Amino acid sequence: MGKRFSQGGDAAGAPRKRQRIVHEAPTSEDILASRQLKALLSFDQDPVRARHGLQSFKVYLDVLLQGGDGHEERFTVLTDYLESTRPWGSAAIGSGNGNGNGNGNGNGNDEDEGEDENQIYLPEIMKTWSHYAQLGNDNIMSAVPVALALLLKLLSQNLELVPFGLGICRTLLQKRQLELISRNLTADKGKAFIISPTLRMLKEAMCFDGGAVARPIFRARASTLKALARNMGIVHIGDEDEQTAKRPSARTNAVSFLLSALKFLHPEAKREILFQRDIVSALTRDIKQDPPYLVAEILNGLRDHVLLDDKVSREAKSSLLGAATLVRISSLYYYRQPAVDESNLPSIADLAHDFLMTACTTPSCGVLRQDTGLYPRETDPDAALPSAELDELGLEAIVWMNRFKTEVPVRNFVLSNFMPNLRPWSSIKQNELVTSIFRVAPELVADFFIHNKSFTFEPKLSTTWIGYAAFLFNTVTLPIPASFCRGPAFPELPPPTSIVIDNILPLPLNQKALVRCLAHKSKMIAFFATRILVIAIEKVDVAVRMHQDPSHLNKALWAEAGRRLVDEFCQRSPGIKDMINSYRSISEEDILHREAASRLLRLYYEVIPQVALMAKFDVSPFLETALGRLSKQQLEDPKDLALSLKELENLLTIAGYSPGMRWFTASEGLTLSPFTILLKVYVDAPHGVALTKVRQVLNFVAVEQQLVPAHAGHPRLLPLLESLQSIKQSSPKLMGDIWPFLDNCLTRCATAPIKYLESMQDAIQGLAESTDEGFSEAVVSPITMAMLEQLPFVAKATDKGVLKALGHFLPKFLSLSAAAGESAPLLDDLFTKMSAHFVKGLKKASVTSVPAEMGPKDGQDGLATRVLVPSQKDNSAGENITDEALQILLEVSENLAADNSALVKWTNKTVDELVDEGYTTSLIALLVSEHASIRKEALINILKVAAKLKLSDYEEKDQIWLLLSELAETAKSHVDDGALPSPIVAFAWHALKVLRDPLSSLYPKVNAFLTRGPVWTLDRLPLVDEILTEEPSVGDSYYAQLNWLLSYLLDSLRTPQDLELFHKKRVRGPLLERLLALANNSYMRLPLRTQVMRVVYRATGIAGGSTTLVTRFGIVNWLEAQRLGTKDAKEAGMYKALLRRIWSTCDQEKVLKWGGKGVEALC
Amino acid sequence: MASAQKSTKSTVTDQQVASEFTSYYLGRVTQEFAEDLDKVRAADDFKNDAIQLLVNALQQGTALFSPEEQRRIVTAEAAAAVEKPTST
Repeated sequence: MGKRFSQGGDAAGAPRKRQRIVHEAPTSEDILASRQLKALLSFDQDPVRARHGLQSFKVYLDVLLQGGDGHEERFTVLTDYLESTRPWGSAAIGSGNGNGNGNGNGNGNDEDEGEDENQIYLPEIMKTWSHYAQLGNDNIMSAVPVALALLLKLLSQNLELVPFGLGICRTLLQKRQLELISRNLTADKGKAFIISPTLRMLKEAMCFDGGAVARPIFRARASTLKALARNMGIVHIGDEDEQTAKRPSARTNAVSFLLSALKFLHPEAKREILFQRDIVSALTRDIKQDPPYLVAEILNGLRDHVLLDDKVSREAKSSLLGAATLVRISSLYYYRQPAVDESNLPSIADLAHDFLMTACTTPSCGVLRQDTGLYPRETDPDAALPSAELDELGLEAIVWMNRFKTEVPVRNFVLSNFMPNLRPWSSIKQNELVTSIFRVAPELVADFFIHNKSFTFEPKLSTTWIGYAAFLFNTVTLPIPASFCRGPAFPELPPPTSIVIDNILPLPLNQKALVRCLAHKSKMIAFFATRILVIAIEKVDVAVRMHQDPSHLNKALWAEAGRRLVDEFCQRSPGIKDMINSYRSISEEDILHREAASRLLRLYYEVIPQVALMAKFDVSPFLETALGRLSKQQLEDPKDLALSLKELENLLTIAGYSPGMRWFTASEGLTLSPFTILLKVYVDAPHGVALTKVRQVLNFVAVEQQLVPAHAGHPRLLPLLESLQSIKQSSPKLMGDIWPFLDNCLTRCATAPIKYLESMQDAIQGLAESTDEGFSEAVVSPITMAMLEQLPFVAKATDKGVLKALGHFLPKFLSLSAAAGESAPLLDDLFTKMSAHFVKGLKKASVTSVPAEMGPKDGQDGLATRVLVPSQKDNSAGENITDEALQILLEVSENLAADNSALVKWTNKTVDELVDEGYTTSLIALLVSEHASIRKEALINILKVAAKLKLSDYEEKDQIWLLLSELAETAKSHVDDGALPSPIVAFAWHALKVLRDPLSSLYPKVNAFLTRGPVWTLDRLPLVDEILTEEPSVGDSYYAQLNWLLSYLLDSLRTPQDLELFHKKRVRGPLLERLLALANNSYMRLPLRTQVMRVVYRATGIAGGSTTLVTRFGIVNWLEAQRLGTKDAKEAGMYKALLRRIWSTCDQEKVLKWGGKGVEALC
Repeated sequence: MASAQKSTKSTVTDQQVASEFTSYYLGRVTQEFAEDLDKVRAADDFKNDAIQLLVNALQQGTALFSPEEQRRIVTAEAAAAVEKPTST
């Protein structure tokens, strides 16, 4: 009796005792002909032979898939075999009648399947599968799907064989095969070798021909998706790697199958799958244990085919992305991956981060829900409350106002549950994720910190604390949602103050923790806290302004909420004393820290002055220290200097807020007063370091202390600054002698300004008596008088170094003062007096040579003349005038600046006040307003003023009435069309001033003009021709009239439309051309030429102005000719600077095209 | 000098300014807090990715400076370099 062979380990009749599984390696043979293949795959009762045939087929397919030598011959063998097994009636291979049309959505072939559905492809293999499955032969149950998966993979690569592949897929979907699939899929968990190939086969079928049979596969989900969730849990023990592990786990195959289903299925089917909780949960449950390539596949697949698929409903996405899934994906932030990865693929942590960023911040991904900004879920910000109740109770009338201090109901509950699982303080990416979520869902900020109370901001010098500080900094930096509710307009009621303050200073940033941070021995902790506070105070400023928005209907209520917000802020932030102490403790070299701390103090003064001023902080010592440090020029890096200047600016601003800054008292250890040191800092700073703020402060203090005249148009300290800078450049050694003298003069002048004003009056009187001319309007700076007063003491001193230095400095200063518009004759007179002291002082010291500049004047060659006509050699290149200086010299404030308050201010004034104090001119100026309502109001008011005048006893009432009436008549028909042309308004503005004074040389001309007609022509500039071409009606008043005309024309040039009037063709040529020709008059003096330059400068500020000047008026050549023609270095410098300004403001491309490189070279 | 100054201003883009300012800021901050940074490095929770976290936290402070302020500080160097030949 022969030995009985076992029928396999799992045969039906086998005892259920656990047997030792012995995997016998299957045998195989080379396949050389289709007949051989057919024989091998035909049904065989002998399991060993059946397995041998399938294994030979598998090896054969493996080789085919790898390609290589003899590929075509092998492929022919396969094709012949397939053809020989083709069911009767199906399309022949290569006939093109198949269904393989590559329909990507898998919904195109459904209808055709009727005729094919009962046809069985590869019937022998199917029979083998069925037979041995009944016998429970695991090896063959595994071998069949292995071979079919490979075959489908191979067929999908060949277009001609696609119909055959589709036939196999449909065969698989027949009832008998589905039962086999189902049986395979539900095999014991330990039999992954059966489950895996089956899943692989299903995946190949799902993907086949672009998902052509995806839909029928889904329809058979009872079998095809059977046990999918369970199978997704079957993993290998130990590490699995794409390259090394030859056999992916059942989980890997199951996940691949699921992802391919999500890729090829239609949205409804996806939806159904995503609603199967067990599948969705199994997909991500152990994701952090998956191999990297599988994790990448899952994340990319879900992102591309679920999150970013707009056809998948929000609910389906929400079902996938519950808080649990998000938490599991976030666990990938800590995914362990080999550090060195040669491929440039993103790391798993990066992929997970990108996935979460997309999922949590894109509304269409189903996680993020639209919130209402800082208004929690249960509030109604537009609720109508009885006004009486609101008036009586204020904010207390809003029931929910104080309800959200410990709990905030939110709409984004999924994110709210998810976020506590993140650790934003330990990872930059998680920090970014949380703050990005905060940005799109501001309601979560307060909620997050309320639920994360365990983590405090108690200072400790560690990475975790720094990470937490960085996270809080990012949170505070987030903007406040528009209108607090992300809507277009503010709601009726203000948001709960507790929520607003939680967004500005989140809960961990409480007073106690912040105070401890500021006072911490580690200066970096104090620095971090300071930076957060800077951002927070800027944010509270924005929030308070939003509370004060004029569009609020209930202003009182919002104002109360704003006050409450400031109170809350003050309770949560450290007191200003803590900030001052912190600032005080910073060492001198820590300029970044000092800048931040001084910025914080400045912001406190600006935003919450009421609290800041209570501290009675004396900024003087700090300012002096900062000035001292800066004046010593110890900082080698110019960037450090610029940074220190920022600190200085902050202190200067604080000094402006705090009264009692002692500008002219040198404290202990300092030889100069703070003001002079600031002056020195300004002069010594390298060129290019912006000093606008410093200059503003210097000028402000100088006016306040009456060092310079306060009237508009005076250049303030400009001549002093320019002359000091000039000396510093030419002979820096002299500066050491100039500073103490200057400090002395400045201090004296600031202490007793009246004294120097009086001495100026005396000087004017003396000059008037000696020359028999009137100098009633002559002006020089009181500081100049102080210099004159102090010069004799310097002359008497034995050390003549100071006197020599002043010999360079004073002439420069006086000439620049004259050029800047101070009275030249008076300065000339003072100069003569100074010269006498120089001569005396220097002779006494037996010095034979007197500094050339300070020699006694001879004959008519006075200072003013020398200012205008200096020696030729000085003039070769012209003085270097910076853009800033040019702006000061040539930019004049607009007289037509619209001040809407003028509409009401005039009503209670007398007629004299109306005319003489500028109320009427202010009304006139409003006609250039861009708002039609303002213009109309102005027009009506002008008529009212005219009527009031007419009834009054004012002497010039008739002329002024006529002027106003003509202006009104002219404006009436145009008031709706836009602003009146500036020349018309400017003319009326200036003509009114003429009419006030019958002695004016222009009085006859203005009156003649007014009597000419009741309406003025809008595109003509009144009186221009009369002044430029006709004889002056009163004696020798040509230049006086020109001065008036230029002032009026300067005001006439404001807009591009005005500029058009200036270059419009006229009988006597365009106006601008005539003005430029005017400046060629060699008898015309500098102030008038400067006025012309101001007109040009004004034109450069108008859009297209510079380009027009260059291309239409040859301004480049004109300026160059003027520069070469003048003998005054200062003036030449102005022309040069103006040229530079024109080049920088013109359309350079157009100009280059117009004039080639020549223009650029000149500029 | 003026044209040189202008070209300096026009050739430095906002992005360059921002990156130059960030590197200046980081240099400055590591100089000022060198001692504290050493202590942080010695602390228990200083791990591999802590350096990145630290750098990120330190450079956040650049947000305190507006683009104009950053340009002012960054271009101070270029302006001073242009200044030198003239003053000597």
